[in-house]
Amino acid sequence: MKTILTSRRSFMVGATALLAAPAILTRTRAYAATPKLKVGHVSPRTGPLAGFAEADDYILSAISKRFAEGIENNGKRWQVEIISKDSQSNPNRAAEVASELILKEEVDIIVAASTPDTVNPVSDQAEVNQVPCVTTDCPWQPYFFGRGGKPDKGFESTYHFFWGLEDVIAAFLAMWDGAGTGKSVAGLFPNDADGNAWGDPALGLPKPLAAAGYTLTDPGRYQPMSDDFTNQINAFKKAGCEIVTGNMIPPDFGTFWSQAAQQGFKPKIVTIGKALLFPSVIKGLGTRGIGLSSEVWWSPSHPFKSSLTGISSADLAGGYTKETGRPWTQPIGFKHALFEVVANVVSRTQDLEDHPAIVKAIAETDMKTIVGPVNWSKGPVKNVSKTPLVAGQWQKEGDGVALKIVTNKPAPEIPVTGQLQLLG
Amino acid sequence: MPDTKLHVSRTTRLSTISMTLMFVVVLVLACAPWWASRADIRLFGEISLYIALASLWNLLAGYAGLVSVGQQAYVGLGGYVFFGLTLLAGLNPIAALLIAPLIGVVVAAPVAVLIFRLRGAYFAIGTWVVSEVFRLTAAQVSALGGGSGISLPVSVVNALAQGRFLREALAYWLALGVAVLVTAAVFFLLRSRRGVALMAIRDNELAAKSLGIDIWVTKFVVYLVTAGLTTLVGALIFLQKLRVSPDAAFSSNDWTAFVIFIVVIGGVGTIEGPIIGTLIYFALRETLADLGTIYLIALGIVAIVIMLKAPSGVWGLIRGRRGLELFPISRRIRGLD
Repeated sequence: MKTILTSRRSFMVGATALLAAPAILTRTRAYAATPKLKVGHVSPRTGPLAGFAEADDYILSAISKRFAEGIENNGKRWQVEIISKDSQSNPNRAAEVASELILKEEVDIIVAASTPDTVNPVSDQAEVNQVPCVTTDCPWQPYFFGRGGKPDKGFESTYHFFWGLEDVIAAFLAMWDGAGTGKSVAGLFPNDADGNAWGDPALGLPKPLAAAGYTLTDPGRYQPMSDDFTNQINAFKKAGCEIVTGNMIPPDFGTFWSQAAQQGFKPKIVTIGKALLFPSVIKGLGTRGIGLSSEVWWSPSHPFKSSLTGISSADLAGGYTKETGRPWTQPIGFKHALFEVVANVVSRTQDLEDHPAIVKAIAETDMKTIVGPVNWSKGPVKNVSKTPLVAGQWQKEGDGVALKIVTNKPAPEIPVTGQLQLLG
Repeated sequence: MPDTKLHVSRTTRLSTISMTLMFVVVLVLACAPWWASRADIRLFGEISLYIALASLWNLLAGYAGLVSVGQQAYVGLGGYVFFGLTLLAGLNPIAALLIAPLIGVVVAAPVAVLIFRLRGAYFAIGTWVVSEVFRLTAAQVSALGGGSGISLPVSVVNALAQGRFLREALAYWLALGVAVLVTAAVFFLLRSRRGVALMAIRDNELAAKSLGIDIWVTKFVVYLVTAGLTTLVGALIFLQKLRVSPDAAFSSNDWTAFVIFIVVIGGVGTIEGPIIGTLIYFALRETLADLGTIYLIALGIVAIVIMLKAPSGVWGLIRGRRGLELFPISRRIRGLD
């Protein structure tokens, strides 16, 4: 009988301790003598979107080193601490870690990057809790309209910088213009946040393509992770499409592209958003990866430098390759720029203890970052600032492939590094 | 006469103490908005919702023998119904929460008729297929964002209650209330006539049938009750997440895999198991989640070790052969000694 009593008691003690543990563990926010600002950072470190965050360690270690020196605000040095959380490429988890950062870590600014699946849930949590929020690395339409934004009203605490669909369209059209192909375009849009925005008849690709004299064959939204594109390929063949465009995830593009080869569909230009950003994906496609084209948001040849560390685009990309042995990727520049904006905002805020004051400073931002100018007063809609966009093609270079910028018409300050070659 | 002392009772000293203690714990937790921080309240709310989900899955799999791997169908349905009722129909969030479980039951009835034709592993796969059908259907509802998903506007969240404190407290009380409601529902169901039938089915379906238990009807009722309550939990989950999209709402990882993990490590086929499992899961998550992939590997190892060393879960270990019960369910004969 006694043993039962003790085991029950110890169980009860254990259970109570387990219940109470979070309450005790979270009450440890210490207020240091030197004022400290907390910045929460959410990115997809693991899961299918991990490629977007593969440079996080490289970027964050350099930024943290700079932040440790402190940022000057109203004559006082503020220490800035970055608390990074993994969204596991899962929007549910992204919302959860964002609320954890806001409520538990009590961060003063929250930042997030990479695709609507990360950016939107984090921004939603920040908006409800009125915490200043800056995001990037997601076209602004899925960010703005995907969160139910109204262009005249906008959002209160959440700000975003990146390019939009109109820029992608302009860059793609500039690249195709004068390439000497037919004007029949095949469109591949999945039923997801990006695909719905790109394929939207009013706000997406269809309208401007028609205005520029192209005819678009859009067989409708396909379900992501499809394993059969036969219907689409037949429709494209029937319409005599010579250009393929759209927004896909890498596995879907791989499926489509191998089936296109099997079924004898041979377009002259293939320009796909999102799927063709990473060198690893192109490598995986083998020789059929060479000649594919994509939007270019940032590259080592972008003529910009960091406002925070003074490092140039070429050095930032080169440093990553040197440290990890991996080729540079486009999100590197934007991840760095995200913290440039944070530092800039921290230095200008009237009163860093006051969240509305931080939001006001974000809204008044006017700066040049490693990805181009950021200024929220010039946005296409409230809360959005646009960065320059060009288009490029994966071309053979030595043993590997390199992304060459083949058109700079939408942003002439970015130099062209190659010429568009038609697919064989 | 000596045998007058003999009587049958459900309560034991332990269960009386534990029930009283649980009552006190619930009361203390109900007052959490006044003594805990905002982050803790949010965490307690999430724990409550997972206790509810786990208890419901346990009722389905542990008692009725309906091993469903598609309960995310109803969690997602709850999210979409809640967003639809508040955003499109303009209902007050509370009214939407009251209607959500009813819709869950209405949707579940034809689904049950369909998938009850399948047995064992086929049933499990059938439930998964159903949830995939739900997910693909949700992706076609363009009024709710289609495949892109949609955010809950701040105005809807603010319609819940005046002021931030009351809003967060109310969301928490709803979550805690649902956990208590679900646990109480399972408790009283198991003590009822139907519960005895359920436990008979759990132990041996053929024997139960030969005793005259209508297995189909019993399972049907359990499936509907579970679906309705899971829909309600889903609505509350997405009130917290503020954003619903097909992949997030019908995520088999978040709403079924983790729930099965919780029930298995806690102890399947007991009321206590899901509660203990949830506490263990959250203790692991709160301490290890920042380690990235290692966290998921750790969860896997815990699950494997428990399945190999203690197939009846942590509560099964504690209960041992003595048959301890925190919730008085089974009858015992008293007065033998």
